[in-house]
Amino acid sequence: MYNYVVRRVGFMAVTLFFVTLIAFAVTNILPGDVALLILGPNATEQSLEALQSQLGLNRPLYVQYIDWVVGLIQGNMGESLRFGEPVAQLIAERLPRSLMLAFAATFIAVVLSVPLGVYAAINQNEAPDVTASMFAFVGISMPIFLWGLVFILVFAVWLNLFPTGGYVSPSEDLVGSLTRLALPAGAMGFALTAYIMRMTRSSMLEVLSEEYINLARAKGMSQRVIVLRHALKNAIIPVITVIAFQFSYAFGGVVVLEEVFFWPGIGKLTLTAIQSRDIPLIQGCIVVVALIYMFSNFAADLLYAYFDPRIRYGGDD
Amino acid sequence: MSAHTTATESEQSDGPLLDVRGLKTEFRTDSGPIVASNEVSFSLDRGETMGLVGESGAGKSVTARSVMRLIDSPGEITGGQVVFNGEDLLQKSDAEMRDIRGNRIAMIPQDPMSSLNPVMTVGEQIIETIRRHQDVSKSEARELAIESMDDVGIPDAAERIDDYPHEFSGGMRQRVLVAIGFSCEPDLIIADEPTTALDVTTQAKILDLLNEMQEREGTAVLMITHNLGVVAQTCDHVGVMYAGNLVETAELGDLFARPRHPYTRALIDSIPEVDTDYDELPTLDGAMPDLGSLPSGCNFAPRCPHATEACRTGGDPTLDSVGDTTSRAACIHADSLDLSESTVPEVGVGRSDIDRSGEPLFEVHNLKKYFSAGDGVFGNVHLSFGDGGLPTIERRYVKAVDDVSFDVYPGETVGLVGESGCGKSTVARTALRLLEPTEGEVFFEGQPLHELGSTEVRSLRREMQMIFQDPQSSLNPRKTVGQIVGRAMEKHDIATGEEKRERVGDLLERVGLSRNAASKYPHEFSGGQQQRVAIAHALAVEPKLIVCDEPVSALDVSVQAQILNLLNEIQADENISYLFISHNIGVIRHICDRVAVMYLGKIAEFGNIDDVFSPPFHPYTESLLSAVPHANPNRETDRILLEGSVPSPINPPSGCPFQTRCPKKIGDVCETEFPELEAMDQSGHFISCHLSEAEMSERESFITPPKRTETNAADSD
Repeated sequence: MYNYVVRRVGFMAVTLFFVTLIAFAVTNILPGDVALLILGPNATEQSLEALQSQLGLNRPLYVQYIDWVVGLIQGNMGESLRFGEPVAQLIAERLPRSLMLAFAATFIAVVLSVPLGVYAAINQNEAPDVTASMFAFVGISMPIFLWGLVFILVFAVWLNLFPTGGYVSPSEDLVGSLTRLALPAGAMGFALTAYIMRMTRSSMLEVLSEEYINLARAKGMSQRVIVLRHALKNAIIPVITVIAFQFSYAFGGVVVLEEVFFWPGIGKLTLTAIQSRDIPLIQGCIVVVALIYMFSNFAADLLYAYFDPRIRYGGDD
Repeated sequence: MSAHTTATESEQSDGPLLDVRGLKTEFRTDSGPIVASNEVSFSLDRGETMGLVGESGAGKSVTARSVMRLIDSPGEITGGQVVFNGEDLLQKSDAEMRDIRGNRIAMIPQDPMSSLNPVMTVGEQIIETIRRHQDVSKSEARELAIESMDDVGIPDAAERIDDYPHEFSGGMRQRVLVAIGFSCEPDLIIADEPTTALDVTTQAKILDLLNEMQEREGTAVLMITHNLGVVAQTCDHVGVMYAGNLVETAELGDLFARPRHPYTRALIDSIPEVDTDYDELPTLDGAMPDLGSLPSGCNFAPRCPHATEACRTGGDPTLDSVGDTTSRAACIHADSLDLSESTVPEVGVGRSDIDRSGEPLFEVHNLKKYFSAGDGVFGNVHLSFGDGGLPTIERRYVKAVDDVSFDVYPGETVGLVGESGCGKSTVARTALRLLEPTEGEVFFEGQPLHELGSTEVRSLRREMQMIFQDPQSSLNPRKTVGQIVGRAMEKHDIATGEEKRERVGDLLERVGLSRNAASKYPHEFSGGQQQRVAIAHALAVEPKLIVCDEPVSALDVSVQAQILNLLNEIQADENISYLFISHNIGVIRHICDRVAVMYLGKIAEFGNIDDVFSPPFHPYTESLLSAVPHANPNRETDRILLEGSVPSPINPPSGCPFQTRCPKKIGDVCETEFPELEAMDQSGHFISCHLSEAEMSERESFITPPKRTETNAADSD
């Protein structure tokens, strides 16, 4: 277990190194001079140069990179050109909102899809299975933002159950915050359900045909015990990967959905940063989103170890 | 109904414990129903052991599962009665059945590796069975579970109860399964191939354990197996199944001495026995018919040497008593046929003498193959903290093959035998440079294979072919048999076009297939036929050496005999050499001229087959040979049961690799000094052991004079 965790952390460090490298390279290779962007097209050669040296842009690239990375490690991500505020502060403000949305969506998806997948598997090729599969396919066959619009139309406009969008901090108004969270999280969760459900179903089917399930039946165990105690704990292991992947995907989907629901999260921030060529902010957003991806996968790896004793006890001797 | 009342009733009823009457189990398929278990009737008394034997697909497992009503859709029990303790189980509700399963009737499944739930501790899996059927508290159940682990010989049961299945060896897991089976003191245990997945020395221990548990608890056992050796060692009476039918039932002794059904005779004869020599195994042509298209008469008639017109047209015969014996047979000629004589030729070989005066065809010197043990943070590099507290870096290896030398002469078959993990397959793969050797020299016809570049090795591959255990995965499923066999000829410029087609046809006939097999795909053939295709493919390039890696292990005995005979014939005709890898001692004994017994990557003993099977013995060889169950109920072998399991090849024991388990260990010398292979005589018999020749010669030879000595052997024991 110790080795396992150490190795995963090692992989994360290496991945992070490449992410910073790419984030830095891409934003520096892209056309457009930061100084020019700040000062506008009418700036003089001299003032441009002065600003460049002030920002350190005339130093060799590797020095700039090292500088940036050292800053990152210290929690200093530079200053946003557009907002004139520290990037770290901008992100710190918006990240929790996006995380809240992504977590809520993943939670809704898991709560819906795992029981559905199990139910479909134990009724293989019968009505419940077919219905659940159809439901899942409908969910997966439309892009997330479209589900957002459908949810707004049905639950906000027609049924008038929830507000159409906006964000309220849960610390200010918990109920208001949750009612505003409901629609975007529901739409995204619904879209994520399909894949997790299909995976749960096929994983359950595989496990249910294992010899140890046969033996459990031969021991006189009831169907309920067999499904919940013997099968699910085995079947959930591959599903965890999918859930982690879907969480990352939800985080990506956030960009569009935040637009639709006026949700001031990291997605909207990234979009603004790109539109305004706010290079420090773009870099900051890339690194943070990459970190989220990595941590969700790391969490999946740890969950594996929790569910699978062969990993937990393997490799540390 | 509670477990308790069932148990009381069981003591009251006086009929047989289990009486199966006309049991019929069908499977719905797209092409109509298939009868997997057809009107099967047998009975089993309390405390008795009945064997159910037959080849794969004969219906023995389906029958056993039907008894427990564990048949999954699309299967269905469509007729008959399963009377257990005087009550018909087929009339019980599902809930009542669940109270019986694991409680009155328990199952011991085949594969210890896949039959335990990997995410639950073994304790949880035993305890849940106990708590399901007995009204005990959690802690009482835990005590009972520890007790049952103790009973089946799991050391330190109280500590190991919270371990997970993967922390146990295969043999220990099988013990856990036995513990689960006996945990509620059932009346009947259904053991479904309980030792098939185990090595022979472990198998011997598990069979002993089963016998012991059964005697202690007075449990009846229904033993399902394809291994007549296991039957002969454990059963009181036997049922033989063929194509869904029970074709013979008999007392154990009668079954072997006077079989009443021709299939039983053939089954017994086709097993290569450790203790006998024969030129050719008697075989049955063909294979068991597909259950979807059974012949119109007796199912066995197409393969039966005694079949008459009446057999082919008269409908499937029913199982009837034979004369005034206790045997029953489903054969219309059962009364008149005398099958007590084996059809095995009376005189043993004539093993052809191998001329070893010239150069060997294939030579391996000091071959080593280490795999890196890549389980640490940095792959196989491990930090270890020594006494001084300073970390030292060491690389760790799995020494799969450690200093192995042998040679193969033209026309000779050299066997590599040993239990799983001993490195026998790695030797073959490394010697052929399918794996890169870590160290050592390999010569083929004097050419140093270990020095050649990859292109030169590839052209030498023409001379050295390989046949694998599983033909299904070694034959390309998208190519026809003709393409598979023909491509090898093209690749090595042996023949093209019309000539190629002609030769492919000849080859297919040579291996016992028809010429038009060339246009079919591998999946259209049975396992035995696929192995024939694999042999044709190997022969296509006219090799001098064929490495056979467990080529018959996946086949049923009657088909196994066909393939072994074919390999022998081809060798006689073409003077090919074989390097033959198998865990099956009987097969090795039958086909090899010389054999190397391997243990933990090293050769423990090497020599002519008769020398290895006769004293002096390496202690490992001795225990290995003694553990083989003989398909002869009269033969009692004094078995040596090894303690523990094979040590990890990452940390092999110091000195002699076998010292940790050796029943004849002398002392310190075994722990400190590796015993070099030492010549026992002039015939090339080598043993790696510190014992003196006299000490290794205490046991008699495992070879008895040729066949028809069953009674003699029994007398002399």
